[in-house]
Amino acid sequence: MMEATASARPSALRRPLHGAAWCLGAALALLLSVALGIAIGETALSPSLVLQVLANKLAGAHYAIDPISQGIVWNYRLPRALVAASCGAGLAVSGVILQSLLRNALAEPYLLGISAGASTGAVLVTVVGIGAGAISMTVGAFFGALCAFALVALLAHAAGSGGLRNSGQIVLAGIAGSQLFNALTSLIITKSGSAEQARGIMFWLLGSLSGVRWPDTVLTACIAITGLLLCLLHTRALDAFTFGSESAAALGVPVRRVQLVLLLAAALMTAVMVSIVGAIGFVGLVIPHAARMLVGVSHRRLVPASAMMGAVFLIAADVLSRTLIRGQVLPIGVITALVGAPVFAVILLQSQRRRG
Amino acid sequence: MPVRRFALPALLATCVFTSLSAWAAPYPMQLQNCGYAVSLKQAPASVVTIGQAGTEMLYALGLGDKLVGTSLWFNAVLPQFKAINDKVPRLADNDPSFESVIGKRPALVVSQFEWMVGKDGVVGTREQFHDLGIATYAMPSDCEGKNNLKGADGTRTAAYDVQALYKSIAQLAQLFDVQPQGERLVKDLRERQAKAVAKVQAAQQPNLSAALWFSSADLAIDPYMAGKNGVAGYMLQTLGLRNIVDSSEEWPTVGWETIAKANPSVLVIARMDRRRFPADDYQKKLEFLKKDPVTQHMDAVKKNRIVIVDADALQGSIRLVDGMEQISDAVRKLGPAAAR
Repeated sequence: MMEATASARPSALRRPLHGAAWCLGAALALLLSVALGIAIGETALSPSLVLQVLANKLAGAHYAIDPISQGIVWNYRLPRALVAASCGAGLAVSGVILQSLLRNALAEPYLLGISAGASTGAVLVTVVGIGAGAISMTVGAFFGALCAFALVALLAHAAGSGGLRNSGQIVLAGIAGSQLFNALTSLIITKSGSAEQARGIMFWLLGSLSGVRWPDTVLTACIAITGLLLCLLHTRALDAFTFGSESAAALGVPVRRVQLVLLLAAALMTAVMVSIVGAIGFVGLVIPHAARMLVGVSHRRLVPASAMMGAVFLIAADVLSRTLIRGQVLPIGVITALVGAPVFAVILLQSQRRRG
Repeated sequence: MPVRRFALPALLATCVFTSLSAWAAPYPMQLQNCGYAVSLKQAPASVVTIGQAGTEMLYALGLGDKLVGTSLWFNAVLPQFKAINDKVPRLADNDPSFESVIGKRPALVVSQFEWMVGKDGVVGTREQFHDLGIATYAMPSDCEGKNNLKGADGTRTAAYDVQALYKSIAQLAQLFDVQPQGERLVKDLRERQAKAVAKVQAAQQPNLSAALWFSSADLAIDPYMAGKNGVAGYMLQTLGLRNIVDSSEEWPTVGWETIAKANPSVLVIARMDRRRFPADDYQKKLEFLKKDPVTQHMDAVKKNRIVIVDADALQGSIRLVDGMEQISDAVRKLGPAAAR
C-alpha cells in the first residue's frame, strides 16, 4: 500500500523526506558552527579541553579543569556562539519579512532607521552621559531604536494613505529617519566626545560580540525563536504578498493586521539584536537572497532556511573576526560587509544571467 | 704703577660685566621642540594652555599669573592650585576653538597633545599659530617616540620615558626664564619616584605581573588596558611589575579571555570622576571582577590583590609620581604573594 502510494504520488512522499533531510543537515551545520565557535578564540585551548568542559557541564562528568579555562569555554565562548546564531537568524528573518512586505529586493532591517536610532541612543548614554552610568549602552540603544522606528512609522503613515499600498513611502521615510539619527550621532560625537569615547562607540557601532554572557543569550535566543515562529505562522500570507497587497487582500489575507504584526516583529527583533551586539550589516540583506537561490521563493522553506543560513553565517563571521588578525579582534560588522558585499554582487550577476 | 693700580678694578669690572651679560642674555632664545623651533624674543607675557598637564605644570613652576586661558580638562585641578586656577578663565572643558585661543592674544600656547595642536590638530596646526606670531610648545611626552597618526590614542614607537616629563618642566622653565624653580620641581619629583620604587623593592615580592584596567565601553565588553609602552605601562615597569599586555598602543582593547588566561598577580584599576561608561566607576569594576564567571577565578581577584589608582595620575604630567606612590603603597600593603 505504501509503495502504491509512493509510486502514485512520488512528490508527496519525497517532500517530507526531503524536508527531514534538510532539517537534519541544517541542524548538523548549526551544531558544527557552534562547536567551531567554541573551539576557536583569542587564546588557544585544545579541542580535548573544550570537549571535557562540555562533558563536565552537559553530561555531569568530573574532569579536573582549571576554572578559568572552563569559564572561558562555557561562559564566554558558548554564549558568544549562541548569540551570534540568534542574531544571525533574527536579522535574516527580519530581512525576509521586509523584502516580502515591501516587495523590494534591497530592503533590510536597518531600512526602518533602527540601527541609526540605536547608535543615537548609545551615544546619548555614553558620550552625553544621560543616565550617569546607571543605564548601559544596550538600554540606551534599545530605546533609541524604538524611537527611530516610531518616527519612521509615523512619517510613512502620514505620507502614505495608510498601510503599505505604496512601499516606496516607508523606504523613503526610513531613509529620512536614518539620515536624521545618523546626523545626530555624528553631532554628539564631534561635539562632546573624546578620542576614547568615539572609539568605544565606533567599535560598538560596527558590531561587537565580546560582552555577551548567558543572560544575553537567553534573551536573544527567545526573541529569535519567537520571531521565527511568528514568521512561520504567516508564511502563507507572506507568499500572498509576493504579488502586492491588493492581490493578497483578494486572496483573503488580512493585509493591515499582517503588515502591522510582521513589521513590528521585525522591528523589535532588530532593535533587540542591535542594542545587544551593535549594528551588524548585510546579514538581513544578503542571506534572504542566498536562501532564495538555494530553496526557492516559497516562504515555508525560505524562512527557516534564511534563519539557519543567517545563524551559520554570523558564527563564521565571528570566528573570522577573532582569528583574521593575530592578537586583535575585528568588529564583526567589518567581516559581514567584506564577505556580504562580494556575495551580493555574485547573487546579482547570477540572477541577471538567469533572467536574461 | 699704573697697571697694578688699575688691575684689580679692571678685573672686577670685567667680572661684573660678563656676569651681567650672562644674566641679561636668556632672550632671544630658541629651542627645538617636536620638530619645530620655538623662538622667543622675551619672556612670554601671556600663555594659553591646551591640556591639564601643561596647566598644572605652569602652576607648579609659579607661573600662574601668566596664564590667560586654559582648556582640555580631565578632572578637577590639584587642590593646591585651586585658588590661582579660579582666577584664570577657562576657554573650554574639552578642545577650544582656534579663535577662542587667539582671541586671548597669547604670546605662547602650550599643548599637551599633538592631536590638539599638530599636523592633524583639532584646534589648529602649529603653523597656523606661528603665522600669527604666536609661539607654540608641544609637550615632549606626546610627540617623542610616538606616532600620533596611527591608532586612536596614538601608538608609541618607543616606550614612554619619564625624562620627557622632566624635559617639559626644564624647557618650560627655560622659556619663562625660571630655571631654579624648574630644577627644584624636577628634583622633588625624582626623589619621590625613587622613594616609591624603593618601597616596592623593600616589600620583597619579586616577579609580580600586573595589568591596568582603565575603563570599558560597556561593563562586560573588552576593556581598555594599559599598553606596554604608554605612561601607565611605564609606571608599572618602573615599579618592577611585568605588564601582561603586549600591545604598543597607548590603551589597547584586550579581551577578558586573554587577561584571565595570563592571570596577573596584581590587577590595577583606575578610579575617576567621569561617569560616561558604567565601568568608569571603580566600584562597578570591582563588582564585575567578583561576579563575572571567569574573572572571579583569577588569582588577583580571589586573593583581593587589586590596586586602585587615580586615572588622572596615568598621564605624562606631574601627577605621574602621585600615581606611582599610590601603586607602590598599595602593593606594599598587599603583603607577600606567590610570585609568578
